[in-house]
Amino acid sequence: MANPNLTDRLDRHALVMAIWTPAAFVVIALLHMGMTGGGGWWIAAGFAGIISAFAGHVIVNTVLKTGFTAGETALGVFAFAVALVALLLTALLASPDVVDRVFIPVGLGLVSLVIAVVVYMVIAFGPRKAFEKFDVIRDNNLRPASRLPHRGGRR
Amino acid sequence: MTTPLLITLVLLALYGLYFAARVARTDADPGTFLDAGQALPGWSVMFLLPGIVMAGYGIDRHLFLVGRFGLQATHVTVGFVLVAIAALLVFNRLWLATRVANLYTPGEALGRYYGSVALRVAVMALGLLFALPFAADLLSSAARILEAATDGIIPRVAGVWLIAFSLAIPAIVGGWRATVLVLAMESILLAVLLPGVAVFTEMTSQGDGFPSLPIQVADGVLWDRIPGVLQNSAGIGKSVPSGGIFTAVGIASTVIAAIGIIFSPATLYLGQTVRAGRAFGVSTVWMTGGFATGAMVLAVPLLVARMPDGSVALADDLFAIEPLAGVGLLLLNLVGALLAVSFFVTGGAVLVTRELLFAYLLPSLSDRQQRLAARIALGFAYFIMALMAAFSPFVSAVAASVALPLSVQMLPAILGLTFFRWISRGAVLAGMTIGVLIVVFTEPLGLILFEALFVELPWGRWPLTIHSAVWGLAFNVSFVLLASGVTLRAPDRLERDRLHDAMATHQMNNAGGRGLLWTLMLLWGFLAYGPGAILGNTFFSRPIFTKVEAGLGVPSLWVWQILFWLFGVVLVWWLAYRVGFGQTSEDGIKPIQLGEARAKRTPDWLAAGLARVAERPARLGARRYSAEPAKGYAKRAERSG
Repeated sequence: MANPNLTDRLDRHALVMAIWTPAAFVVIALLHMGMTGGGGWWIAAGFAGIISAFAGHVIVNTVLKTGFTAGETALGVFAFAVALVALLLTALLASPDVVDRVFIPVGLGLVSLVIAVVVYMVIAFGPRKAFEKFDVIRDNNLRPASRLPHRGGRR
Repeated sequence: MTTPLLITLVLLALYGLYFAARVARTDADPGTFLDAGQALPGWSVMFLLPGIVMAGYGIDRHLFLVGRFGLQATHVTVGFVLVAIAALLVFNRLWLATRVANLYTPGEALGRYYGSVALRVAVMALGLLFALPFAADLLSSAARILEAATDGIIPRVAGVWLIAFSLAIPAIVGGWRATVLVLAMESILLAVLLPGVAVFTEMTSQGDGFPSLPIQVADGVLWDRIPGVLQNSAGIGKSVPSGGIFTAVGIASTVIAAIGIIFSPATLYLGQTVRAGRAFGVSTVWMTGGFATGAMVLAVPLLVARMPDGSVALADDLFAIEPLAGVGLLLLNLVGALLAVSFFVTGGAVLVTRELLFAYLLPSLSDRQQRLAARIALGFAYFIMALMAAFSPFVSAVAASVALPLSVQMLPAILGLTFFRWISRGAVLAGMTIGVLIVVFTEPLGLILFEALFVELPWGRWPLTIHSAVWGLAFNVSFVLLASGVTLRAPDRLERDRLHDAMATHQMNNAGGRGLLWTLMLLWGFLAYGPGAILGNTFFSRPIFTKVEAGLGVPSLWVWQILFWLFGVVLVWWLAYRVGFGQTSEDGIKPIQLGEARAKRTPDWLAAGLARVAERPARLGARRYSAEPAKGYAKRAERSG
C-alpha cells in the first residue's frame, strides 16, 4: 500500500480494529480475573493477549506495507502511561495484600510490553535506526550544517 | 449479568455504527453502496467466511444438538472441511465468471448464463428465504437467550426489535462494505470466544470434565458413537431411531445440507464482490477448514459436557467466577446469531433490490437514486424480518427449516456455471423443480401443510435418517443427468461454451496430480463423514487388527474426528495451493458479453402491471410537471417581446 487512498486506509483501520476489539475483550477478562484473586498467571495470560494482538498488528503492517499511524502510536503510549500511573497509584494507595498480589505480575507485564516494542523496532528498523527514533538530542541542532552527512546529519 | 451483557451489546452496536459512518463518509461514489465497488478487502472474506459457516449452521443449535446426541452430532462439524472445499471451488470460478462476463450478482450470473428468468426468480426467492424466515428464526432464538440471560428484563419481543434496530442502522448507513467489515470483526470474536470460553470453563470448573465426564444425553442415545450407517426409520415425528438420529449417512447428508450456506445468494455475492488476491485460499484452508472446524470439533464437547442445564445456566456459574467469562459464553451464542442475521438480511435485501428493482422495475435510476432505493429496501427488509421474528416465530422456524436444503438444490446450476458446460437450462430447471418438491415434503413445511389439508403421510422428517437436502439432491441430480444427456446439442449450448472458453483462457489452475487428489478426496469423504466413519466408533479403543483393548482415556470417535479433520485440512490445502484454486487475478481478463444485452427499460408486462396500479397519479404528475415549464416559457416570451 504505497499510496493508500481513503478506502484502503479505512480497510486497514477496520482490520486493525477487528484484531484489537476481540483481543481487548479477552485481555480485560483475563486481567480482571487475575487482579480480583485469580493470581499472577491470569495476569500473565492477559499480557500475552496484548502481545499477541500487537504481533497481529505488526503482521498487518508488514502485509499491507504500512507502519503504525500517529494516532495508533499516541493511543498506545497513552494507554501504557495510564497503566503505569495506575500501577504506581495502586502501590502507593492500595492495601498491602492487593499490592503484593498485583504489583509484580503487572509490573513484569508492562516490562514485557516494552521489551516487545523494542524487539519489534530492532527487527523492523535495525538497532541503529531504532535508537535514532528516540535520539532527540541530535535533532535539537537546528543549524542547516548539522544535516550534512559528514557532520553526522541524517534528516 | 444483565448490565455487563447489555453494555457489551451496546458497544458492539456502536462499533457497527462507527464503521458504517466511516464507510459512508469515505465512499463518495454512491454506486459502491451495493457491492463495495467489487473490491472488498481480501481479509474481510478471509475472516468472515468461517463465521458465516459457523453462524449459518447455528452455534446455539449445535450446542443443543451436541448436548442431546453427544459426539455423533459433533461429527457433522468434521464436514465443515467439505464446506470449505465447496466454497473454494465455487468462489474461485464464480469470481472469474463475474469478471469475465460482468455478471454482478448470483441471480444475474445464473440467469444470463442459462438464459433463464426463472432461475433469476429462484435465486431471488432463495435470497428472501434466507433474509426473512431463516434470519427471523435465528433472531428469535437470540432474543430468547437474551430474555433468559436478563431474567426477563428484556422480553423476547423487545429483544427482537432492539437487536434488529441495532443491525439495521449500520447496514442502511454503510451498505455492503460496512456490513462486511463489521461482521468480519464479529467473526474473529466468535473464533476467540469459542476456544477461550471452553478453556476457561475447564480451568475454573470443579471436578473432571470431558472426556472423563460424558455428555449427558437422553436415555437410549449413544453419546460417544455413531448409531449405525443407516436406520430403517420413517423419519422424525413418525418413529424414533434407536441410538440417535446422526447415523453415518445422516451425518453425511447433514454435511451436504450445510453446503447450502455457501450456495446461499448472499454468500455467493460475498465471493463475487471481493477483490483479486489470495483471500479464498487463506479463508478456506486455514480459517474455515483449519480453525473453525478444529474449534468446533475440539472445544464444543468440552463446553457441552459442562452445561447439562443449558448455556445460560453455565453462563451464570461462570459469571460468579469472572463476570466477563459469563458474558463471553452468552456472546458466543448471541454474536453467532447476530452475524448470520445481519449478513443474510443485508445480502438478501441488496440482491433483491438489484435483481428486481434495478433490473426490471426501475432500470434507469441513477447511482444516487439506487442508493436511496437500497436504503429503503434494507429498512423494509429488517422491519419485515423483525416482525416475523417477534410475532410469528413458529412460522419462521418452519420456513427456515427448508432454507439450507433448498439452497443445496442450486448445486447442479452452479456446477454448470462454474465447471460443467454440458448441464443445460432445461435440465437445471427440471432437476430443481423436483428437488424442491422432495425437500418440501421431507421437511415440516410440506408435511404439516399436506397432513393438515389431506391425509397422513407415511414418512416424517428425514426418512431413513437421511437429511431432506440429500433426498432432494438425489432426485435433482438424476433429472439433471438424464435431461442434460438428451439436450447435449441444444441451441443455447453456444452461449455456455463462450463463457467456459473465456474462463479457460484465464485458468490459473495446475492440472497435475488431480487424479490422486480426487481419489484421496473420495477416500477421505468416505471415512471422515461417510459410511466409513462408523469405523471410528471403536477403531482406537478396540482396534480391528488385535484383540487388545487400548486405554486411550478419550472416546475413539473423538480421536477419529480429530484425525480426519487434520487430513481434510491437507486436502483443502492441496486444492487451494497446489492446484491453484486459492488465488485469483484480474490480469489478462478479456471481458465478454454474455446473452442478450441488459434491458434499459422495464419489460412491457411489468410496465403494464405497474401502470394499472399507478396510472392515475402518474398522469396527474405528468400534467403538472409538463404544464408549469410551459407557462414559464410563455411568460418569459411575453417579457422579452
